[in-house]
Amino acid sequence: MDARVVRERSSLVWEKLETDLARFRKFLRSLLRNRIALAGLVVVAFFGVLAVVGPVLVGPYPTTFDKDDPLLEPSDRHLLGTDIQGFDNLVILVYGSRISLIIGLVSASVAMVVGTLIGLVGGFYGGALDQMFARFTDFFLVIPWLPFAIVLSVILGPGLTTTITAIAIVSWPTTARIVRSQVLSLRERLFIERARAIGAGNGHILFRHILPNVMPLVFAQAILTISVAIFTEAFLSFFGLGPPGTISWGKMIEDSWSALALLRGMWWYFGPPGLSITLVVLGFSMLSYGLEEVLNPRLKRR
Amino acid sequence: MNLRRFLLRKAVSVIITIFFIASLNFFIFQILPGDPTRVLIPRGGTSNVTGQGLRQQLIHEWGLDLPVAQRFVIYFSNLIQGNFGTSITYRPGIPVLDVIKPRLITTVIMVGIATALTAWFGAIMGRAAGWNRGRPTDVAITMGGLVGYSMPTFWISLVLLFVFAVELRLFPVQGETSLNYRNLDPLGQVLDRAYHLVLPVVTFVISNFAIFTLTLRNSLTDVLTEDYMTTARAKGLTDRGQLRYHAMPNARLPVVTVGAFYFGWVLSGAILIEIVFGFPGLGRLQWDAVLNLDFPLMSGIFLVATLGVVIANAVADVLYIVLDPRVRET
Repeated sequence: MDARVVRERSSLVWEKLETDLARFRKFLRSLLRNRIALAGLVVVAFFGVLAVVGPVLVGPYPTTFDKDDPLLEPSDRHLLGTDIQGFDNLVILVYGSRISLIIGLVSASVAMVVGTLIGLVGGFYGGALDQMFARFTDFFLVIPWLPFAIVLSVILGPGLTTTITAIAIVSWPTTARIVRSQVLSLRERLFIERARAIGAGNGHILFRHILPNVMPLVFAQAILTISVAIFTEAFLSFFGLGPPGTISWGKMIEDSWSALALLRGMWWYFGPPGLSITLVVLGFSMLSYGLEEVLNPRLKRR
Repeated sequence: MNLRRFLLRKAVSVIITIFFIASLNFFIFQILPGDPTRVLIPRGGTSNVTGQGLRQQLIHEWGLDLPVAQRFVIYFSNLIQGNFGTSITYRPGIPVLDVIKPRLITTVIMVGIATALTAWFGAIMGRAAGWNRGRPTDVAITMGGLVGYSMPTFWISLVLLFVFAVELRLFPVQGETSLNYRNLDPLGQVLDRAYHLVLPVVTFVISNFAIFTLTLRNSLTDVLTEDYMTTARAKGLTDRGQLRYHAMPNARLPVVTVGAFYFGWVLSGAILIEIVFGFPGLGRLQWDAVLNLDFPLMSGIFLVATLGVVIANAVADVLYIVLDPRVRET
């Protein structure tokens, strides 16, 4: 390849990169101008930072040596009191943010990859394959999510992998359905026909033309799935089916409930973890809501 | 649209779905390592002669020594005859269906009342938000809905219990009925049940009304840009009249679909509400089944819950047709 062609090609790549970057900046600006999305982003960022730098603030992961008397009231030593085992509630709360966010991110990623692939392939190729995938998706959609996750957790045995698997299995169908319907309409568009006319193969069209166009949708859906995953983890932990030996917000609420914190009036025990879950889920929901307003051209028009 | 043909097709698809759900239910419990007898016979119990013999006897009685395919056929023929198996640890020897039935009624009553109230409240809120899109009313309602939706159901239950039952002592802490329920006259019994339902139902409404509100709000904003809405305004109809006769009949259609779509989600929330409020429904039963590792009971509950969702979805599909003015008038 002679130098001139290389130069031309690289300048083309640069041009593409620049327009992409400009588009991304424009998107980011309109996202940040959306107050709901901005507020959601702030809340999520707060908990993200807390999960990362938390240990600096509250000290290392608590061990048996850090135990105090159980069920103490809030004091200078323990700002949120102590739990049923004598651990400091604030420390538990901060470490709980890690497990909730990790489970949320990992299981949502798995669900997104599976859901997007099934929706993409089914919607694009159509025919019997699509029919099969669509039935398969619909089938998993009707299965009520919590009973199914509970049964899966009982059968696979509680553990981090089980929790993530259970969440991924119950949350991929929504994505698959959304992606499929989007692909069905994209497939008929002119630019796909154009790509085909200049000799592009199926794989190229699928990953270079269709996938980039469904990504914004998948992204909004992923954020929603993260909040569902955080919810599910809390529910499973509350059922006593969460990963054993880990600290999580759901487990904390379950502990406070079985320690009768309610009847003892210990609002500082069951209050903060529930509030944290609410804030994180709210943050992600607001972000997703804002994203939809920004990405959906039909809503923008008004 | 031919309504009869539509119903027939719907019925066939429901039956096929039920078949696959029952199959999933059968095979998923096959993944379990070992066999259900290990729940009944204590750890190490299989090492002595009696334990081993008892285990063999149970395996034979339950047909666990048969090939999977044969068991699958037996399972299905039993299901068709309404035999969901027998509880092994929670209520040993009692048919699963008999254990489930009274609990199912409790759950259906609770979820039924709560869903109706949620839909009603959610619709009012959604209408107000959609009509005032972008104004403070809309922002307040949307945010309120999102906050309610973001709170874990069991945590709303705990907070409501703490405030209204423990601190203010306005409502009962636990259960479906009072201790003196049997001594009450029929009217008193109904009132007593209603009194115990207040907090669970309020929890349900707080946690789920956003589903209806946000859907109605979005479909209403879509409908409001239609030309026939301009016509309605030009005719001089009041806001109320525009909403009632022109906007709402079309805007509420997606709500039915979305409502059915979320039914599984809603049911899952109800499970947690029941557990916290000590409400003897299906959710509480599943909790007990899990604690006791009663696999036949777990499987039966899972099947019943899934059937509930499938039927609710089918009903919603039919309801959609009935509510759609374009279909009704032809």
